[in-house]
Amino acid sequence: MSTQGIAAPISEAMTDDPERFEELVREHQAMVFSMACRYLRNRALAEEIAQDVFLQLYRKLPTLESSEHVLHWLRWVTAHRLIDHSRHEKRRPQSPLEDAPEPAAAGDSMGSADPLLASMLRDLVAELPENARVVMILRYQEDLDPMDIARALDMPIATVKSHLQRSLALLRDKLTRKKGVGI
Amino acid sequence: MNLEDELRAALRREDPSPGFAGRVLARAQSRPAPKARIPRFMWAVAMAAMLVIGFAVTSEYRQMKAERAGREAVIALRIAAEKLNQARDKVVRREN
Repeated sequence: MSTQGIAAPISEAMTDDPERFEELVREHQAMVFSMACRYLRNRALAEEIAQDVFLQLYRKLPTLESSEHVLHWLRWVTAHRLIDHSRHEKRRPQSPLEDAPEPAAAGDSMGSADPLLASMLRDLVAELPENARVVMILRYQEDLDPMDIARALDMPIATVKSHLQRSLALLRDKLTRKKGVGI
Repeated sequence: MNLEDELRAALRREDPSPGFAGRVLARAQSRPAPKARIPRFMWAVAMAAMLVIGFAVTSEYRQMKAERAGREAVIALRIAAEKLNQARDKVVRREN
């Protein structure tokens, strides 16, 4: 994950330089959009929320001091925006991604050999409670360790570890029942 | 099959639809540019300046009022003294 593209410090000047702001969006769009997409399982809604997060970033830029600050701020805002959204809406994903194209072909360097299993896992993650879901996304999408997740979400590290352990156990159990395969 | 590896693969990042950054930029530019925030201490300085100016204006006003009252008292005393002198002159003239 590169944060070197945008030279620190981030300043008010960026809001006057559309190209630099667009570059900043491009640098982080996959992270923000994927977090929303994995959390909501709805591409259109995920894109809408991702756009709102970047608009909020645009207004906040003069107060952010470095690329690391931007990254931390984006993770924090996206996570809380998603949790707030699902708490307020109190609705389950309405347009699952089954009919949307899968993100990448199976068999790439990190990809699962089983696209069906990957899709099942994404569904199961999207069914987790709000806080556990965002913890799992930060752990396995962003590859953050529990300490970084705790910092990113202002959550005690014990809670993060508990969410991870319980979610993994739950996924294992559900997967075994659904697929009949131990994992 | 390792669950954590499968999760990493299943939850890997993906890009939004093409032109996402351009759409964000268009929305950002259609809104008024963010204003630089005024630091809190500047508000405190402004408040203190307003208090000092208010105090100075009030003091000045009180001083002017006191000076005017003093001038009016002097004029009143002069008028009273003049009247007394006139009365005294009349009395002296009658006695003569």
